[in-house]
Amino acid sequence: MAKILVVDDSALSRRMLRSILESAAHNVIEAADGMIAIEKYFLEKPDVVLLDLIMRGMVGIEVLKKLRQMDPQVKVVVATADIQASTQMIVLEEGATSFVSKPFVSEQILIAVNSALEV
Amino acid sequence: MLLTEKQNDALSELINIAFARTAAALSSLSGHRVLLEAPTIDAYGIDELPDVIGNFMTEEVATVHQIFTGPVSGDALLLLNYHGAIMLTDSLCEHQRPSRRLDTSSQEALTEVGNILLNACLGVFGNLLKVHVSFSMPRLHLESLDQLLRSITIGSEELRYSVVVSTAFHVKESSVSGYLVIILGVSSLDRLLRAVEMWEEDQKG
Repeated sequence: MAKILVVDDSALSRRMLRSILESAAHNVIEAADGMIAIEKYFLEKPDVVLLDLIMRGMVGIEVLKKLRQMDPQVKVVVATADIQASTQMIVLEEGATSFVSKPFVSEQILIAVNSALEV
Repeated sequence: MLLTEKQNDALSELINIAFARTAAALSSLSGHRVLLEAPTIDAYGIDELPDVIGNFMTEEVATVHQIFTGPVSGDALLLLNYHGAIMLTDSLCEHQRPSRRLDTSSQEALTEVGNILLNACLGVFGNLLKVHVSFSMPRLHLESLDQLLRSITIGSEELRYSVVVSTAFHVKESSVSGYLVIILGVSSLDRLLRAVEMWEEDQKG
């Protein structure tokens, strides 16, 4: 059972992810924007970060870069509505562990999180 | 004629795939089957846009608007009938009693729904045509569609014509219905058609 930081400016998406993750007995902390996400990562040391890309203020790619600067070993699963293969390539090149698209499918989220935990 | 028959066929096929992906996403969110009508592609003078799109739905609507940029750029709109939008967000937000209006949490949920659906549609364009499309933050509009559409046309660099791609959809066994609308300038349409031609050639192998 892991501690997972969910970063998404959508309360609906954070709620959906919380429901999926808590059903698998994970401990969930939330951040509604990039700056809060970076603070919480520093304070809470989660095992995995689930990160949206299109957010107000600091966008997901910038958050990913900052997290990697803070902790090169950070495990980030990008969870976004952007389904493009080109976006997937960009985030993986920036160091994300994997990529899942919205709308969320429980099994896909849990597989991605479990894979990140095993890395 | 705006498009040749060959261009119309190829573009229609692409749009069918994109809109079908969007319908699948909406089906996943709503838990019901989504019925789509055949998409239409038409060109209009800039000044006609508010009347044309305003006539798609004459009842009260909730609109999510997202700007997309890249080799192909324009505006994407998800129009939902207001009552249907309430039903959809009530189920997503797990409201105990049916709402009468869209409250703050429902508006936020609806914006996210629009984000998911519009990205599903435009992301297919990006994937199939091998172009990268960037998206603005989605914005929800509950006031008159006319104001939104006039702001799109005033801000547009395309001074004379817009191409409107649209399809009507309906969520089965619910009162959720609406339109997906993509607005392109003529030069973006030209780039889109070139990319579609290359895609079609790739399909032939």
